Amino acid sequence: MDRPLLSIKNLTVDFITPDASMRAVDNMSFDVPMGKTVGIVGESGSGKSVTSLAIMRLLQQPPAHISGEILFDGVDLLKLPDDQMRKIRGDKIAMIFQEPMTSLNPVFKTGAQVAETLMLHRGMDKKTAWEKAIDLFNEVGIPNPTQKVHAYPHEMSGGQKQRVMIAMAIACDPKLLICDEPTTALDVTIQKQVLELLRGLQEKHKMSMLFITHDLGVIADVADDVVVMYRSKMVEKDKTRAIFESSKHPYTKGLIACRPDMGANPRRLLTVSDFMDEAGNGLKVTRDRVQVFEKDYEAKNGNDILLEVKDIHTHFPIKGGLFGRKIGEVKAVDGVSFQLKRGKTLGLVGESGCGKTTLGRTILRLVEPTSGSIIYDGKDVTKMGQEEMRLLRRKMQIIFQDPYSSLNPRMTVGEILTEPLVVHNLGGGKKERLDAAKSLMEKVGMKANQLNRYPHEFSGGQRQRICIARALMLRPEFVICDESVSALDVSIQAQVLNLLLDLQQEFKLTYIFISHDLGVVNFIADEVGVMNKGVLVEMDRADRIYRQPKEDYTKALLGAIPKGLPKNIEAFIS
Amino acid sequence: MSAQDTKSLWADAFSRLVRDRWALISLVIVLVYAGIAVLATIGWGLPDWKTSQASEYLAPNGQFWLGTDLFGRDVFAKVIHGTKIAMSVGLVTSLIAIPIGVFIGAIAGYFGGWIDDIISWFITTFSSIPNIMLLISITLIMGKGLVSVYLALGITGWVGLARLIRGEVMKHKEREYVHAASAIGGGHFRKLFIHILPNVTHLVIINTSLQFQTAIKSEVILSYLGLGVQGEPSWGTMIDDARQELARGVWWQLAGATFAMFLVVLAFNILGDALRDSLDPKLKGK
Repeated sequence: MDRPLLSIKNLTVDFITPDASMRAVDNMSFDVPMGKTVGIVGESGSGKSVTSLAIMRLLQQPPAHISGEILFDGVDLLKLPDDQMRKIRGDKIAMIFQEPMTSLNPVFKTGAQVAETLMLHRGMDKKTAWEKAIDLFNEVGIPNPTQKVHAYPHEMSGGQKQRVMIAMAIACDPKLLICDEPTTALDVTIQKQVLELLRGLQEKHKMSMLFITHDLGVIADVADDVVVMYRSKMVEKDKTRAIFESSKHPYTKGLIACRPDMGANPRRLLTVSDFMDEAGNGLKVTRDRVQVFEKDYEAKNGNDILLEVKDIHTHFPIKGGLFGRKIGEVKAVDGVSFQLKRGKTLGLVGESGCGKTTLGRTILRLVEPTSGSIIYDGKDVTKMGQEEMRLLRRKMQIIFQDPYSSLNPRMTVGEILTEPLVVHNLGGGKKERLDAAKSLMEKVGMKANQLNRYPHEFSGGQRQRICIARALMLRPEFVICDESVSALDVSIQAQVLNLLLDLQQEFKLTYIFISHDLGVVNFIADEVGVMNKGVLVEMDRADRIYRQPKEDYTKALLGAIPKGLPKNIEAFIS
Repeated sequence: MSAQDTKSLWADAFSRLVRDRWALISLVIVLVYAGIAVLATIGWGLPDWKTSQASEYLAPNGQFWLGTDLFGRDVFAKVIHGTKIAMSVGLVTSLIAIPIGVFIGAIAGYFGGWIDDIISWFITTFSSIPNIMLLISITLIMGKGLVSVYLALGITGWVGLARLIRGEVMKHKEREYVHAASAIGGGHFRKLFIHILPNVTHLVIINTSLQFQTAIKSEVILSYLGLGVQGEPSWGTMIDDARQELARGVWWQLAGATFAMFLVVLAFNILGDALRDSLDPKLKGK
């Protein structure tokens, strides 16, 4: 058998500062064979990015302490002097980062940034380097390459910028391409194109790839082998198919099972904690944890209409010129109408910039609509005065996307949770309000004695639970979840989705669930609306949208989702 | 960390501040200056600067640590009493400038639109006038003396802070926690004063420490130009006196006043820097 291109042996990375030390990577060993793709999958903080940075020797030492061996083509990279390592970096090993917005220098033309790599590593003169840059732009599928090389990063879309990054990475025909979450910041349709491009380039240039991602669907599409990381350790490595079909480690099973997919609709999602206890011991999953069910599309607390949106438009002016004259407008929401029945969940899906968030905020009048009407429980919200609106806010709530910025960092959790009661002068005195906060903390799965802590002392998932508790303090009947699980790791996401469903039953809530993730929407929503460019393209029962989409845009969106390998829930039940 | 040892943000900030050695030393220096200023105001326990105690221009010696001036007065005592003017100018101008700056900046940043346009016009206009020129014209109109210095420094000092607060408030009002406050039915007052302002207080405190020392320096310059304090020792007038003295090799008046000013300005700078770190809630408990 051939020698693998990259062979990692007992790699351990510690971060040691005078105050604390932390093991980021613990005794990793794996190979990347010639011409193959190895995927590293894991949740945030599991050490997957640190591993890739260690291979590139991009970690600052100290505080990082690296031990073990990283054999690249038989040479131990950890023992190379700095100047030789610099020659390998960008030449034999290239890397693509997650955020194309920040990894390109905004003050240089994109072509110049590609040409720079060539001049540096290949010693080309300026003219040849620019010509090669045009070829590369062509190869990575950027339209009009001769003109686009002169474009600055801000003149390109996110997908194009990522293509420039790829052009830069493959400029010197690297043997190994490290991709660190290269498609996470992109929309699904763009993600699909970029993944196809990467696969094509790999085949053409006979590269090996090390592909880091948190998304199992993407891994299944690109990787030959998968390494699963959990809490700094490698818990499993195997062929991709074997990982999906017969994973051995409980964490891997949990990770695969907790991902909502297009197929079966379980009543609740399995989570990692169903498979494994805190100490990492495997648990038996019983059948009652995964009841597959048919959604009850007809009757659920009657059939009355809670919310009706009629031809709503929300336009934002574009100002320009010396005195800020209006020179145009962005039609964020451009004529949307729908009805939502009490106790149901409407899922709104669409790509970034399609207007779904603006629509949600318009319904709550956090943004004023330009025209149209919003009938809530028989009354037109757009015509309400300030006092009437304030009273209505008790019934309508919102849970935001980013659990980091949606909690005031200077207030304790107790202050945050009791504030809605204070604003509306409800809930009796301070003690009664705190008691109400405590009982909701427990309802959302937190401890009641954590009320005097500050938001930054909690993890992302815990903060999102606090946000949910805040939204429920006023006992609303209607809640908008605006990408409320998008910023969370997939296992945490499953827990929060289960929580939202439990709370819906207990408090008889009606949801609008806004998300770019069609799998999540399919799991939680009764009806699904697909948005594009400010317009509701298609709206139907969830099962029909997924099985028989009518509009081309819906079909394209569904087609772009990385399918992963079909998960067989039966296989998880012991 | 258990629930019990979760301290309030301010108590925690203070305990972190005093753990930083240089910040603690600076804090002590500032407190000593403040204490001297109080003693000088109530006129108790400090050496006498008014009476002539020896012959003119004695070099520093065991009895007069910083020598004597033209009238045989103790220069060290003058430096000590100058602290009163410096600290009171710093304090009073901060008390005038900071509230104006915070309020105007917050209103402009929060409401935007034409309110912002008008306030921004004032801010740009004020900052385009050379500062010293404005100070001079104000003291000329109001007459020389301490009150003019307070007013002059107070009504020019708010501009920088207002601009800073305006920008910060603009940034914060788009944060989701402010949207969340709207969603629960909170009004403008609640959003601006209960949610946004506490998140910019650290800037106000740092700015106060900078404002304080800027005021001290400006007073010295005004007094040096003969527009400031009359009939009381101030570091500015001492430096002004030193103009003629230096030619005769008399350096101690200049050195004493400059060093006193240097020390307090340095202490304020270090303190402001440490305050910025210790007031960041994300570093809490570190």
